[in-house]
Amino acid sequence: MKDLKHLYYFEKLLEDANNELVRQAQAEGKKCVATVCENIPEPLLNLPGLFSVRLRAPRTGSMEMATYYMTSFLCEYTRALLERAIEGGYNFTDCIITPDGCSMMNRCVENMELLKTMGKGKENYFYQYMEIPMKADDNGLNLYVLQCKNHILKPLHESFGVDISDEAIRAAVAEHNEICRLIRQIGEYRKEENPRITGYEYHILTLATYVAPKYLLIDKLKETLEELKTREPDEKNKYRARVVFVGSEVDDVDVIRLVEESGAYVCADRFCLGSFPGRNEIILTDDEDALTQICRQYMYRGQCPRYMNQAKIQERRKYVADLAREYHADGVIYEQIKFCDPWAYERMVGTVVLRDDYKYPVLAVDRPYSIGSSGQMRTRVQAFVESIEIKKIQGGAK
Amino acid sequence: MRYFGGCDSGSTYTKCVIIDETGKMVADVTLRSRINAVLSCEESLKLAAEQVPDLGSAKDLAYLVGTGYGRNKVPFADENISEISCHAMGVHVANPDVKAIIDIGGQDVKGIAVDTDGTVLNFAMNDKCAAGTGRFFEAMARAFEMDLDEFSKLSLKAKNVIPITAQCTVFAESEVISLVGEGKPMDEIAAGIELSVAKRCFVMSKKAGAVDSITLTGGCAKNAGLKEAIEKVLNLKVIDLPVDPQLIGALGAAEFARQKGMARG
Repeated sequence: MKDLKHLYYFEKLLEDANNELVRQAQAEGKKCVATVCENIPEPLLNLPGLFSVRLRAPRTGSMEMATYYMTSFLCEYTRALLERAIEGGYNFTDCIITPDGCSMMNRCVENMELLKTMGKGKENYFYQYMEIPMKADDNGLNLYVLQCKNHILKPLHESFGVDISDEAIRAAVAEHNEICRLIRQIGEYRKEENPRITGYEYHILTLATYVAPKYLLIDKLKETLEELKTREPDEKNKYRARVVFVGSEVDDVDVIRLVEESGAYVCADRFCLGSFPGRNEIILTDDEDALTQICRQYMYRGQCPRYMNQAKIQERRKYVADLAREYHADGVIYEQIKFCDPWAYERMVGTVVLRDDYKYPVLAVDRPYSIGSSGQMRTRVQAFVESIEIKKIQGGAK
Repeated sequence: MRYFGGCDSGSTYTKCVIIDETGKMVADVTLRSRINAVLSCEESLKLAAEQVPDLGSAKDLAYLVGTGYGRNKVPFADENISEISCHAMGVHVANPDVKAIIDIGGQDVKGIAVDTDGTVLNFAMNDKCAAGTGRFFEAMARAFEMDLDEFSKLSLKAKNVIPITAQCTVFAESEVISLVGEGKPMDEIAAGIELSVAKRCFVMSKKAGAVDSITLTGGCAKNAGLKEAIEKVLNLKVIDLPVDPQLIGALGAAEFARQKGMARG
């Protein structure tokens, strides 16, 4: 296939947390709100005068300093973030808001604060820690709304004078939805039998929308969508199987690349920093305040294993099976970052349920935060692809 | 007569097998892998081709499949297939009754369940560290100042087993050196080492779905002491294969090559 015109540009954006568009938006006077989890409603961090950045630690090497503070038994994503913070990699941010999506993440940001890693020379810099419900119900919603008011809206207003009115929130949702529509329309091409966009390319585009100011991405995403409408796929489909990739924090672009190089086309992405459910539009009505509606939709659509009520647990597996059906997947890959607690359980049980109840071939892997060119992961995925291929020939796979 | 090749580019050894149209093995080579996988593969293919009188060179193979960690480095291969699939196929060719495999390679351990047609039913891999792999045995043999062959037979004489507590290769080596320094019997220490590796194989065999028997493949399958320890720990019959277990990956690759080459016509 001919290269996408802006792919290299998007790839470059992902090389550094403090990327070109972050610097441009700050030069325009906007404040950068850092966050670390999908459970923080994004539109609230993108109110007028603000833009959000989901923290990543691209090109992570040694995590020795962070391991000293957090021990080697904690998730590598949180350690990589702390290491980068200690190195000064997040000095560009203007505040950070973290949820208690997992205790490791909380501990990571607490260490950032205790070590005074960010906010040097920034008078109004703040760290906020908010609670996220563990059950999706009315009580959970009340808690979510209150937490968003106290730990997002109030400090943003008090520190930076941000307009937190209902109108301002609705304007932020409109911008958010425009990005979601573009990403989803681009993603629809993954349903094709011989797709005109690779899972890797799609991951690059989606990831960019989490780590750069959205308003600065819209034009290039629109151009990419137009380009895709007439893009010719390769004559021969080089992939031997189609998979839904399910799991935790996938912000290392090499992960999807490695999976696809091993023969599995990633046709749907259900992971933190993926498009399901992160790029669902937020539908607002005039019957209720925008904040409550946003929180409700985040809470009920959320696929994070933090939610522990039975309905949510069962729904998470059905969600994956539905995606697999809709995107014509032959199998499912469940992944987790080493030492991730919530996903360790989710991966284990999800693997069994998807295989036994939904009859999909499933590969379960735990991986380091930075995958590099892991030969072991490559072997696992390739063996999985080969077993799917054989089952397809035998007519056993879906 | 057409010939088909399988080249297993492993982390420690490179193996090459050539079979004919009937599936009969007509050549095999095992050599120590060099840092450059391409050179190792070239050399093994050349040596294997020389064993077949009516095959001009390895380039004349009707179909060649690469496998092993360097599978995508095998020169002029028609395709590459993971070593997991190749070990399953290789064992199926050698003994179709075997349904579970523990493959102990130079750098990892794999448990593989084999279907009735030689395809993979399920697999599990331990690739987190070198403990329980060929590298581990090499380090232990070095600590004993023996070659691998000598070391693998040492534990067979032991009356008792001195357990090794460290799982990490580096720490296990220091533990062994301390035990030797304390004057403990070498054969009993060796039995402890074999036992610790056998226990690591336990999980793999369970994940591979082993019920009543299992076979060992990979270079470490030649370790007689380990085989004995595995039989004790797993309480399973370890089935011997009629083919060198170190060649199984290459044999499976060659069989895939034969099937695909014959289908291509």
